[in-house]
Amino acid sequence: MATLNPFVFRPGHSNLHYLDTRCKFFLVCIVSLSLLKANFPACFILLGTLIFFIQQINLELGQTLKHLKYFILFLVFIILARALTIPGDPLVQLYGISITHQGLYEGCLVAFRFFLVMVTGIIFSNTTRPANLKNAVQWYLKPIPFVPEKRVGIMISLALRFLPLILNQANETRNAVHSRCGNLEKNPVKRFIRLTLPLLKKTFLSADHLILAMEARCYCENRTDPEFKPSGKETLFIITSLGFWLCIQFF
Amino acid sequence: MAIPILEINHLTHQYPDGSDGIIDICFSVTKGDFIILVGKNGSGKTTLIRHLNGLLRPQSGEIKLHGKNILKDLILTRKTVGMVFQDADTQIVGDTVFDEVAFGPENLNLQRNLINTKVTQVLEQLNLIKLKDRNPSTLSGGEKRKLTIAGILVMDPEIIIFDEPFANLDHPGTQSLLSTIADLNQNGQTIVMATHDVETLMGSASRMLIMDKGRLVEDGSFTDLIKKLESHGIKEPCTCRIGRPWQP
Repeated sequence: MATLNPFVFRPGHSNLHYLDTRCKFFLVCIVSLSLLKANFPACFILLGTLIFFIQQINLELGQTLKHLKYFILFLVFIILARALTIPGDPLVQLYGISITHQGLYEGCLVAFRFFLVMVTGIIFSNTTRPANLKNAVQWYLKPIPFVPEKRVGIMISLALRFLPLILNQANETRNAVHSRCGNLEKNPVKRFIRLTLPLLKKTFLSADHLILAMEARCYCENRTDPEFKPSGKETLFIITSLGFWLCIQFF
Repeated sequence: MAIPILEINHLTHQYPDGSDGIIDICFSVTKGDFIILVGKNGSGKTTLIRHLNGLLRPQSGEIKLHGKNILKDLILTRKTVGMVFQDADTQIVGDTVFDEVAFGPENLNLQRNLINTKVTQVLEQLNLIKLKDRNPSTLSGGEKRKLTIAGILVMDPEIIIFDEPFANLDHPGTQSLLSTIADLNQNGQTIVMATHDVETLMGSASRMLIMDKGRLVEDGSFTDLIKKLESHGIKEPCTCRIGRPWQP
């Protein structure tokens, strides 16, 4: 059995699972826009809300954080970069390099915002079927002329469907390389090539098989789309998120 | 004499590099058949079965479905001749078991109510209804294979083609899958199966086709051809060798 990464859909019965995908799409956009100007108190309020939803969808927080270890490392890098480059009152000084109070504050805030965007994305992908996401993308793109909305929709849903498979294949390839002591190779370029070449080959082969399998089941663009099923709570969610956004804009 | 559903006449296919895939293949499939297609690796089994529902086009020869060339209506062909591929993981596109089975009927643009009814019926038929909300990637190998069969069965095919369905399955998975396929055949479903695993299918399959170097070299009943397997590089079932010294 494959291990689920944090970005795959998990069936469930939470409010978010039953929320119309178009509404969830809108909420993700509003939350991301709000975070551009959010200060620490606003970020903590949003974090509390997101933790509430994480508990509602039964997502294991520890396991999820473990999957995000490289992203968290990236956030630490952002904090350090900001702390070292933004001028201000020095907090620590060593060999002429200083970590400033203002830099640390800015770095933590930016990292916090990135983290919240990531958690929002995880909650969204855990509660949204790729098929419904495809449908919502189609719905939003339909009024735009010259955009093949059905093709864009199917590309997004397939990418979401196959990203976990590619990650699993990358893991298998890495294990195969390590089992032959490939991890002892010091040259990062060689290590990269040894991992990516077999992975790309496998991915393209899988894509070929997928095309055949879809063709064998009469795949075409003009197909029955999933229905939108509003749960009735969409207005409440939209008003609350807009209220949050306005508060951040004006306070 | 029974009227054939599918007639394959002098089918020949060459790969883009010029090498022969299959050469002058002729046979027919009638309703209720359980045909196994055996041959060494590279003998052309997969190439042949991919022609049967129009995924590959022949260089010469033709395939007729109910007397009409399959290439004239590919949608009807693919609806009538369903195909289950070897690797279930690359075949499954749905994010839940239910969505995966609904993929085919959605492509046929059926009404949503009809799709829901048909999917539920097929899931019940294959005992997958309890798993309907599960993510397919969390299923066992045997369950994934059953799911791929459900994805084909929901389109009401007259013939189901399997490409190495027992590959990478453990013994319980193989037994469960075999029992599902045998039940389908006993209920009138026509089966064509490319496989190496002749032993598993003893007692289930009625007819055997043996391929060698792209040619169909034998076509006959399972019992008539069982002793000819070794001469074409295919392992004879152990149960047929009683009294002979054991060979690995």
